[in-house]
Amino acid sequence: MDKKKQVILSLRNISHSFIVKNEVKAAVSDVSLDVYDNEFLVVLGPGHSGKTVLMNVIAGIEKLVEGKIYLRGEEIHGSNRSIGMVFQSLNLMPWRTVMQNVEFGLELAGLDKKQRRLIAQKHIDLVRLSGFESAYPHELSGGMKQRVGIARAYANNPEILIMDEPFGALDAQTRYAMEEEVLRIWKEEKRTVIFVTNNIEEAVYLADRIVLLSNCPARVKHIYDLSSLGRPRNMMDPEFLRIRTEISQNTDLAL
Amino acid sequence: MEKGMSGKHAIQLSQAEIREQRLNLLYKILPILSVLLLIGLWLYASRGYNPKVGSGFPTPAAVWDRTVRLFTAPVKKRSLIMHALVSLRRIGIALAFDWTFGIVFGIIIGWYAKPRAFFSPMFDAFRAVPPLAWIPLITLWFGIGEFPKILIVIFGSLASIVVNVKAGLSTVDRMYLDVGTVFNASPMQTLIKIAIPSSLDAIFAGVRTSTSAAWMVVLAAEMLGADAGVGFLISRGMDSIDMPLVLTGMIAIGIVGAILAILTQLVERLICPWTRKSK
Amino acid sequence: MTMSGEHKVKVENLTKYFDDLHVLDDVSFNIRKGEFLCVVGPTGCGKTTFLNLLTRIYMPTRGQLYIDGEPADPKKHNLSVVFQEPSAMPWLTVDKNLRFGMEIKNLPKEEIERRIENMIGLLGLEQFRERYPHQLSASTAQRIIIGRAFAMQPDLLLMDEPYGQMDIKLRFYLEDEVIRLWKEMGTTVVFITHNIEEAVYLAERILILTNKPARIREEVTVDLPRPRDVSDPEFIKIRNHVTEQIKWW
Repeated sequence: MDKKKQVILSLRNISHSFIVKNEVKAAVSDVSLDVYDNEFLVVLGPGHSGKTVLMNVIAGIEKLVEGKIYLRGEEIHGSNRSIGMVFQSLNLMPWRTVMQNVEFGLELAGLDKKQRRLIAQKHIDLVRLSGFESAYPHELSGGMKQRVGIARAYANNPEILIMDEPFGALDAQTRYAMEEEVLRIWKEEKRTVIFVTNNIEEAVYLADRIVLLSNCPARVKHIYDLSSLGRPRNMMDPEFLRIRTEISQNTDLAL
Repeated sequence: MEKGMSGKHAIQLSQAEIREQRLNLLYKILPILSVLLLIGLWLYASRGYNPKVGSGFPTPAAVWDRTVRLFTAPVKKRSLIMHALVSLRRIGIALAFDWTFGIVFGIIIGWYAKPRAFFSPMFDAFRAVPPLAWIPLITLWFGIGEFPKILIVIFGSLASIVVNVKAGLSTVDRMYLDVGTVFNASPMQTLIKIAIPSSLDAIFAGVRTSTSAAWMVVLAAEMLGADAGVGFLISRGMDSIDMPLVLTGMIAIGIVGAILAILTQLVERLICPWTRKSK
Repeated sequence: MTMSGEHKVKVENLTKYFDDLHVLDDVSFNIRKGEFLCVVGPTGCGKTTFLNLLTRIYMPTRGQLYIDGEPADPKKHNLSVVFQEPSAMPWLTVDKNLRFGMEIKNLPKEEIERRIENMIGLLGLEQFRERYPHQLSASTAQRIIIGRAFAMQPDLLLMDEPYGQMDIKLRFYLEDEVIRLWKEMGTTVVFITHNIEEAVYLAERILILTNKPARIREEVTVDLPRPRDVSDPEFIKIRNHVTEQIKWW
């Protein structure tokens, strides 16, 4: 059962601050973390804890100022083709159809049209949006838009996929459906996933491991290993509820 | 209280819904009322009209007669429609220049900081001068032929498109740029595949405003020395104390202006379907 | 079954069409005075329309709504609604926000003072009295709205997913608070939610709606003692049952 786990991403002493209204505000404080190959890692923290900032630093959207990031042992700076992202606020380009959005990364990489279409189509099918290739984002529901975001990120074939609170804006039931979808897709196309959320139930449902962050500025409070909970998980299973309560008690309350 | 069944289902409406229906009806009637009021005012104002002496304000009937006569006895060998076409041709050429040069220039100063810093003060100064103030200068330089007229129109409408394109390109939503960063887009790819498409609505706003600006300026240019065009018709009417002709010209100007506005809106909707508000 | 005289709210054969769209179909139920009722249903089943019919924003195509035995009338009856988006007036302090509804209804000053003191105590907002909503977190702003609604002592208090996207720890805290307020004020509450665990945690009775056209699929009584334990097997049993009834995915 104990497979040799390889570290694919390593964060060392990451810190990040902002200047807000002439004050320096720390968002991330000395975060160090190892991410294993092909694991589903959930980063859990209360709202406004700085988790998005941390993800932006890893993905290269925010400049890495303090600390180091190692990808497969090599230091990286800025954005990297191996790290993809599904954004919190969709960020789908409204002037592009679903197909054009999904093939965006491939277009940037210079693949020719035929190849692009093939790969993009495969991923549109993967997220079960076949038939919607020519639709525009404004014609889709919230859940469907998120699936386009996931397809777009996957199509670029990254080794690590960051998902930054992708289901935050969805209602509870659509959220449950999307959580099952994300696991299904992860099983079919195994990648390392770093999934960010503030929802404890979602975290316990999805994760191999949970990294619990404190309130702003974000520090690693605790790392939970959930390998004892088999898959698929049942949200009403007593063990599930016990872990959920334990994590909940350890979480800072963002009142 | 259930009302009697009529049709598929009994429709009973709440106070709020009834009020809303009444308001909708009112909104439809009000424009018609205002037009009727306007015509009424016109009739009132023109009651002292004496066509022989040319005093007083022309009646609607007199204007209509004059319009019809324009077709049978054209002024300077052109009918009303042909005069309108002459004016349209002038703005067409001007806008063609505006949209090619203006959009490229707007992109450059909107997207790149150094050109923006370099050109902005100059451009803002240029913008501040009202188009009509250019007329004396251009007339002195180039006379009163076709070219100077078109130049005046360009001077009067270029600023609109440049300003709008610049605004669009300098305020590209950070969201989309982040996507470009994560997907490793090169700077040129970012400009062409993200910044410009996301600014299409601003570019079209520029197209719309420059079109209406051009239409207004061409008339001014024509009134100061031309032998064709709708503006010319008005000045002709003024010279020959032909009030109905002046009014005909004005009405024609208004109608063409409205058509241009509608056309540009239609084109925008066709090219940018995503700007339609979705429900 | 209680006698009809004790029913605070009676809904009879509520049906709503928007032109050809059949949203609600023949919904009938009763609410006892001071009862805490939760309404759940699949996404898009018409819960918001249902709410709008109860507040008389829309009129039903057929059917009637009675409060205290008379047809519901917004002028006569006192209805409060809490929505998902915090609707605190940004230009009023916490204290003024809490007073707002009561001042509009022209309640006597001493009564307003009494209720305000009570509500601020119940919510624990003493130190925030003179703050403005934008200085507080979203959840605190939402608590103010809820406090304001309860302070009105309405005939019927409707809550439409007030805790929408908040995380579990916060939710449990807020749910305990709303139960505290409810017990203290004895208000009749209809609470709409997507979250089944929340419904089972709060409700005395749960109404399960079907997909459009929405009908009542089932009424589930939740007879568990408070405070409720989400890991209690009985709790889980009820939660499972309700989930089964609306699972569409």
